[in-house]
Amino acid sequence: MRWRVVRQVARTAFVEFWRSPAAVFWTYGFPLIMAVVLGFAFQPAPPQPVPIAIVDAPGANAVLMSLQPSERLDVELLDAVAADQALARGRVALLIKVDIDGPVLRSDPTRPEAELAQLLVERALFEAREGEVASSRTEIEDRPGSRYIDFLIPGLIGLNLLGAGMWGVGFNLVQMRVQSLLRRIFVTPMRRSEFLAGYLLGRSILVIPEALVILLFGVFLWGVPFRGSYLAALLTIVIGGWAFTGIGVLCASRARTIETIGGLMNAVQLPMWILGGTFFANEALEGPVRWAAEGMPLTHVNRTLRDIMLESATLTDVALPLAMLTGFGVLCFALAMRLFRWQ
Amino acid sequence: MTAAIELANLRKTYKKGRAETVAVDGLDLVVERGEVFGLLGPNGAGKTTTVEICEGLTIPDSGDVNILGRQWRKGDDDAIRARIGVCLQETKFHENANVREVLELFRSCFDSGRSVDDALQLVSLEEKQDARQKSLSGGQRQRLAVAAALLGDPELLFLDEPTTGLDPQSRRQLWDVVRDYQEQGGTVLLTTHYMEEAQQLCDRVAIVDRGKVVALDSPTELIKSLAAEHFVLIECKTSPSDEDLLAVPEVVAVERQTDRLELTVQSVRGALPLLLQLFSARDIAIDGLSTRHATLEDVFVHLTGHALRDGGEA
Repeated sequence: MRWRVVRQVARTAFVEFWRSPAAVFWTYGFPLIMAVVLGFAFQPAPPQPVPIAIVDAPGANAVLMSLQPSERLDVELLDAVAADQALARGRVALLIKVDIDGPVLRSDPTRPEAELAQLLVERALFEAREGEVASSRTEIEDRPGSRYIDFLIPGLIGLNLLGAGMWGVGFNLVQMRVQSLLRRIFVTPMRRSEFLAGYLLGRSILVIPEALVILLFGVFLWGVPFRGSYLAALLTIVIGGWAFTGIGVLCASRARTIETIGGLMNAVQLPMWILGGTFFANEALEGPVRWAAEGMPLTHVNRTLRDIMLESATLTDVALPLAMLTGFGVLCFALAMRLFRWQ
Repeated sequence: MTAAIELANLRKTYKKGRAETVAVDGLDLVVERGEVFGLLGPNGAGKTTTVEICEGLTIPDSGDVNILGRQWRKGDDDAIRARIGVCLQETKFHENANVREVLELFRSCFDSGRSVDDALQLVSLEEKQDARQKSLSGGQRQRLAVAAALLGDPELLFLDEPTTGLDPQSRRQLWDVVRDYQEQGGTVLLTTHYMEEAQQLCDRVAIVDRGKVVALDSPTELIKSLAAEHFVLIECKTSPSDEDLLAVPEVVAVERQTDRLELTVQSVRGALPLLLQLFSARDIAIDGLSTRHATLEDVFVHLTGHALRDGGEA
């Protein structure tokens, strides 16, 4: 392999990306927007009061008085028609009708907030009848490292590495094939290994700042902690990027049209988006779905990044997943080298 | 020294479903070193397939291919690629890379060759070296493609329809590049469906039709091979009969179109006064008169019975 060829291919891959405003936006801008929006959406805050309604009838006011001390309930008094309508539309989670036997709680149990409303109402009525019961005090979990945003930021880095490897490399390669550029390169003395290595290098250089932007953003804007080894994190980013680029090159090794590669990439990416542990923890999954999740490189990139950032993992702690990811990348490239076609 | 290209009994068929198209049908060809050799034929004649077999891009079904004394897929591929330059029919280089960067990429593949500055100068693109692909005109893109092909200082240059779609000025600029390259000792295999291009550039031309070489010689000799090299075109409402026209000495053939006669003649000087006499004697008015020299197109029509531009697909 001739280094000067690898370097030139890497440089062209870099330039091709860096001068494309759309590619830069989707790589740098979009994940940041996602980090901001999701960060705001999942800020730790006291729970919102649950809205319920009481049908205006004799005895309703007594119930209203009993419920008013509860801060967790937002109670309004409505006539029978308006109350039914509010429940049907989901504006209130529960409806209380008072008859001669006492209050009747009416709700749709398939709605998640219905059960909560019922518990809160029963408790408030009980307290009004029996006096305040000794209960546990509550605290909001808002310590850095335990919030949803702390879980999300490492996942977003993983997801970004996946997108960059798959779309940035795989898609680009097929585009070059469609434009006959790969055929043109084929008729020069450039070797397949030089070409693929150069392309990989060009993209790897870009992967580090891509991941760092999200990481720094998380740390400085949302106060996401970084407790582990910087070197381990850097290696995870590079090796994760390598593994995903391997999948991208493998997908692109034979695809002849943009439509084929688009479909293929989505087919590979979508399960990882859902099961790869970016937006929710996949450790709770069971059976074949869990096995599938464990087989996905994204799961291991995300988990390793979380271990480093949130659990103070050192390089030694994450050596095994990193070795596995490296092996996975090597396997993909070895296959791609065999399957790759220029035209 | 061996010839630059030797092709013997070359065959290539393409299968699409049950249909089978013969693109190259037992083609033989020898391109000598130092010549500009043209493959002339309509679209679908098998020119591009032949060139791509020579470039190692397409594997023939059968036949022998010898490029600069070596053969493809016999362990010499990199050695052949290091000595040839290729300009494909259509290539889009990296959109966002500039001219110099594209050339630097291609230059890096060759262990020896000419400098990027040299190549830029050869195709007169020095002023455009910082321009990106998307800002180049068609002619400039094509010259860049030729420059990229010249970077390895090749002994043999393949140009597949290099001037298709270019304006006359860009076309002439490219012709100059090809002539300069030949003057420095290079060999060129060129495909084109422009007769003028073949006549201007090529030392020898192979006329290809339906995957076969139907004639091979210098453009001048090919034209001379026609029974007559000149044409007289007469515009008239009525005209003398074919028998009368063919009775005129030196008139070889008559072709009738609406209000127009095209007469193939051995010499304009000999035939024209006699034709004017005939029209005068028959009292037929001549609305317009012109003459032209035979071209390779006439040779092609004569040999194949159809025009260059109405070939089938292959």
